[in-house]
Amino acid sequence: MSEFFDPYNAERPLMMKCSCGRDHTVAQHQAEIQAEESGAAQATRALRERSETAEFEAYSNEFIEATLMKALFPQDEVRRRFLRAVGKGTAMAAISSVLPVASLQAMAQDKKGALEKTKLKIGFIPITCATPLIMAKPLGFYDKQGLDVEVIKTAGWALIRDKMINKEYDATHFLSPMPLAISMGAGSNAVPMNVATIQNTNGQAITLHNKHKDKRDPKQWKGFKFAVPFEFSMHNFLLRYYLAEAGINPDTDVQIRVVPPPEMVANLRAGNIDGYLGPDPFNQRAVYDEIGFLHILTKDLWNGHPCCAFGTSAEFIQQNPNTFAALYRAVLTAAAMARQSKNRELIAKVISTQAYLNQPETVVAQVLTGRFADGLGNVVNVPDRADFDPMPWQSMAVWMLTQMQRWGYVKGEVNYNQIAERVFLITDARKHMKDLGMPFEAGSGYKKHTIMGKEFDPAKAAQYAKSFAISKAA
Amino acid sequence: MALATQRPAAATAQVNTMPGFLKVEHLAKAYQVDKPVFADVSFTIAQGEFVCIIGHSGCGKTTILNVLAGLDTATSGHCFMDGREIAGPSLERGVVFQSHALMPWLTVRQNIAFAVMSRWPDWNKAQTNEQVEKFVALVGLSNAMDKKPSQLSGGMKQRVGIARAFAIQPKMLLLDEPFGALDALTRGTIQDELMSIVRQTQQTVFMITHDVDEAILLADRILLMTNGQELEGGGYAPGGMAEVVVNQLPRGRTRSQLHHLDGYYDMRNHIVDFLVSRAKAG
Amino acid sequence: MKALNLNLRAGLVSLLMLMLFIGAWHLSTSAPSVGASSAGLTAEEIEYAKLLGKAPGAEKTTGFPQPMAVVEASWGHLSNPFYDNGPNDKGVGIQLGHSLARVAVGFLLAMAVAIPLGFLIGMSPLLSKAFDPFVQVLKPISPLAWMPLALYTLKDSNVSGIFVIFICSIWPMLINTAFGVSAVKREWLNVASTLQVSPLRKAFRVILPAAAPTILTGMRISMGIAWLVIVAAEMLVGGTGIGYFVWNEWNNLSLTNVIFAILVIGVVGMLLDLMLAQAQKAVTYVE
Repeated sequence: MSEFFDPYNAERPLMMKCSCGRDHTVAQHQAEIQAEESGAAQATRALRERSETAEFEAYSNEFIEATLMKALFPQDEVRRRFLRAVGKGTAMAAISSVLPVASLQAMAQDKKGALEKTKLKIGFIPITCATPLIMAKPLGFYDKQGLDVEVIKTAGWALIRDKMINKEYDATHFLSPMPLAISMGAGSNAVPMNVATIQNTNGQAITLHNKHKDKRDPKQWKGFKFAVPFEFSMHNFLLRYYLAEAGINPDTDVQIRVVPPPEMVANLRAGNIDGYLGPDPFNQRAVYDEIGFLHILTKDLWNGHPCCAFGTSAEFIQQNPNTFAALYRAVLTAAAMARQSKNRELIAKVISTQAYLNQPETVVAQVLTGRFADGLGNVVNVPDRADFDPMPWQSMAVWMLTQMQRWGYVKGEVNYNQIAERVFLITDARKHMKDLGMPFEAGSGYKKHTIMGKEFDPAKAAQYAKSFAISKAA
Repeated sequence: MALATQRPAAATAQVNTMPGFLKVEHLAKAYQVDKPVFADVSFTIAQGEFVCIIGHSGCGKTTILNVLAGLDTATSGHCFMDGREIAGPSLERGVVFQSHALMPWLTVRQNIAFAVMSRWPDWNKAQTNEQVEKFVALVGLSNAMDKKPSQLSGGMKQRVGIARAFAIQPKMLLLDEPFGALDALTRGTIQDELMSIVRQTQQTVFMITHDVDEAILLADRILLMTNGQELEGGGYAPGGMAEVVVNQLPRGRTRSQLHHLDGYYDMRNHIVDFLVSRAKAG
Repeated sequence: MKALNLNLRAGLVSLLMLMLFIGAWHLSTSAPSVGASSAGLTAEEIEYAKLLGKAPGAEKTTGFPQPMAVVEASWGHLSNPFYDNGPNDKGVGIQLGHSLARVAVGFLLAMAVAIPLGFLIGMSPLLSKAFDPFVQVLKPISPLAWMPLALYTLKDSNVSGIFVIFICSIWPMLINTAFGVSAVKREWLNVASTLQVSPLRKAFRVILPAAAPTILTGMRISMGIAWLVIVAAEMLVGGTGIGYFVWNEWNNLSLTNVIFAILVIGVVGMLLDLMLAQAQKAVTYVE
């Protein structure tokens, strides 16, 4: 129904006044609506308008294409070699002619195939990591792709896992290691899951109770009780890594418990835990409630670390390739919007409402904009406190796997590369390149990372996993 | 007037010759194989007769009644009613229990209607109601038709029980100490009522009682039962039918005039003697 | 007259107790703090205060909410109980509707199994002994323990919620029905025998009414358990329902709303029990 006039409505007479039927001009109608709108509704409208500008469309298209290339060639070196070999034009043509999921490429040019399934259910946990997934709903990105999506707040990660396995959800917000774990059958039935995008990078922190303001050195943390949201989470791996670097054995010197993020603040207040490495907004919430302070941002542990992912089952992708492509595009558009810092404040308004994060708006705004109170009396400015980069390098998956093996979550020999590729990759570009007669070296195309000052070379993953002084005895 | 009693043998002989309506032959009940409670109990009841059985507790009179009602089985022996063996409970043998056994969630009307509907399931509501009202009136409780048993006195409840048993117009009525729980005054009233009803309906009745006067008032014949007892020098004698007393007092006797009747005291003394000395040892 | 007097007095005492309680509550909680004036603070300090929600004049609730705050929140929820803003934000009326619907289905299913099965068990000493170990083992299992198993096998969270209600609320009804049936007075059964009443008619006209008060006591207990269970189940599983409402407000650490929800849960539980109490009155008899 058009906002202004309703010439195509067979049920009502065409009145040249406002289509709502009341006797006022359209401008007056608009003004009335704006006056009644809540802050969240205003923000939603503003963001929608921004998303419809030509400028944003161009930006998001390029963003998506870049992401796709990264998806196809998660090893940067490989991508570069390929392009050098065949040139851009051929590359694009070759890819589009060969990929079974040709619609992936078509997405960048806004061509859609017929959607197999339009009504979808997507689960999320009410934390800021899920921002792109959530905001796509009120900002209409799902609708634009022809999808009728319900984003459903879920009570915990175990439920997310169960509802994905039993297909109650079509796609969901995951912790990045979860698809790895589920595909491998660690902690549940083995059901092949795929990560479609990484939703966010950074955006977590280690929060401690106010009474530990004088214990900033992790070496003093023997006997502490910590909480993490889930075993298969970057939070758990990063916390353990951080403790181990300070000489603390995370299995014997401290206690690490699994606590659902919303309960972390309450547990901190009650003194059940001394601190947690958890997702925002619960770190900032602890500061807001004056119970805790931010000890360190995870950005300072590993800048650009993946956190949460947006994923679905391999089966869903195979059976609904066009739907999946549409979904993918919607979430990527949202991620593109979320990346731009000028949008962050408005986004905070939109997602902090009761239907989504249900937190005070200022708490969410502080997390997203990076201008926040740290709990120790300072106002700090860290604009990339949280970032939204949908397709990080495959080497990150390998790192997660090494940590899973280090702490005994995964036993036996692990073929890191193979699993990482299977889970973090949507299409197997290399196979198709071979079909095209364009040979590749497998090569050391994985990117190296620096994590807490120590270099991680994905090519030497197995050695890396065993190289730590503190780990769980195999 | 000479007391007319019959020895058991005579009674047994009668069993074989009389065209008895109810025939009990050599009934025995044993909970322990070698020590039956009673054995070789035989008697008949003619149609329209009112028979009482008297004995001490434990002689097995309730068991006999239960066997006749079909609620219990004898270890040996047979019972026949109207030529057919008694093999289970039947609407042909109505029972009035020691405690009224009214269903407390039903009104008087509903309690009796339940029985009437069991007997004549094809009757419509009007017919059922008519039958119910007739027999409630018979026991004089028309005012209490729609009351629940908890709102009635003990005597009234017992009368309802009687009405219920009568309402199905059974071939034979079995009463198990129906007035035992009532006070003397109420008992007297109800006894009179029972007598008049029985006379009206020509009912065949078998009743257990402890009350000698009651037996003499109501019964045409009184069966005297002994308990089983351990004998000196080892051995055990099961209980059984010791004697049958024929009541020769005139019909139409009333409670108030009973003790004036000739032969009353002889009969009474005889029965009391029996109970005191011969019925059971120890 | 005396009964009225007693009821009146009891009512007054209740009211007094309530007022004392609310008074104590009010005294032990503090009003929302209001941001202090910004005089004499640096720009950074002012901003810091603002980020903590303590801008000058801004109200910030800390700690346990006051009675008035709960009343206001309650009024807010109750005056618009049926709004629907999508799957994660619905009015309290709708949430209650979902919970009650689940309770109804679970409870009725439990009834449909418990009463006939209880009948069988009550009439047969063999079955009674045979079933006993299973009943004793399954009875004490908490709904929270059943939940994961249910989710895994039944897969759907709605169905799992209903199953958990079923499996937790069936026991009191089952046990009470069995007991009530086995305790039916012998003499009533004898009456039915002598009247040659068919087994089916006996079951419905004699045994059932006789055991009804006991059965209804079981039903009341079961209903209490069902209501308890649904709240716990919904907190675990989320989606819709009053339990989800509590969890959602808990996420936001909004104690005011949590307290409101608790009161609603209590009142609805009481109403459910009252409903069954009336039913129980209807079948109670005096011997």
